[in-house]
Amino acid sequence: MIEQAGFREAKVVEKFDPFLGTNKEKTARKYGVDGVNFLAYKR
Amino acid sequence: MALVCPMNFDKDKLRSEVRLTYTQVAEDPAGDYHFHRGAEYAAKHLGYDLPALKDLPLAATEVFCGMGNPFRMGAMENGATVIDIGSGGGMDCLLAAKQVGPNGTVIGIDMTDAMLERSGGAARAAGLANVRFEKADMTRLPLADDSVDVVISNGVINLAPDKEAVFAELFRVVKPGGRLQFADIIMKSDLSEDARNNIDLWTG
Repeated sequence: MIEQAGFREAKVVEKFDPFLGTNKEKTARKYGVDGVNFLAYKR
Repeated sequence: MALVCPMNFDKDKLRSEVRLTYTQVAEDPAGDYHFHRGAEYAAKHLGYDLPALKDLPLAATEVFCGMGNPFRMGAMENGATVIDIGSGGGMDCLLAAKQVGPNGTVIGIDMTDAMLERSGGAARAAGLANVRFEKADMTRLPLADDSVDVVISNGVINLAPDKEAVFAELFRVVKPGGRLQFADIIMKSDLSEDARNNIDLWTG
């Protein structure tokens, strides 16, 4: 989707676990939800 | 997190629910929410520098509820123009403002009045004149074409009912040579139709 908008070299750079220890942790695990850092460029 | 809303999904209701949730966070940061908040969370879970956060007004840090850390991908350049989509209490904006310096500009974009009030006050308390906050929808930014060096955001774009429109708008405002450097959530599994229609899953 990011590259469809025109950006290039879109990539996930790092992952996090922001729901660890919250009451949504189980839901996050069920759907495989991660926090991530994204990078993309307009060339 | 679905990429787009299902047909007949009430997008106005979603926006309203998101605004309500984050108004509640702004007005009662110590309340009972399903997500972590604050400087200690940002440092322990997301790798922020705790001493740097402790230097910021509590008004900005106590409502922080991001999902990642844009600054781990690189500092904002001196003199850059940076926008933060969904700036909340302003924590990431204040960090960016310190990095870009007096010749740079940071613009926080948010749709929640209570957060805008908080972030504006935090910027004044921090004595940072190179940062401002604007009320806007992330699909209709009050910015010229090709005017932004870096877009940051932290756990916000996933709340948008039309993410394609968001990225199209970001492409419009980013300069050639500029970049997106943001944090958000991704999901490995496809959602069922029932889950995609569950507004509670959309709002957080």
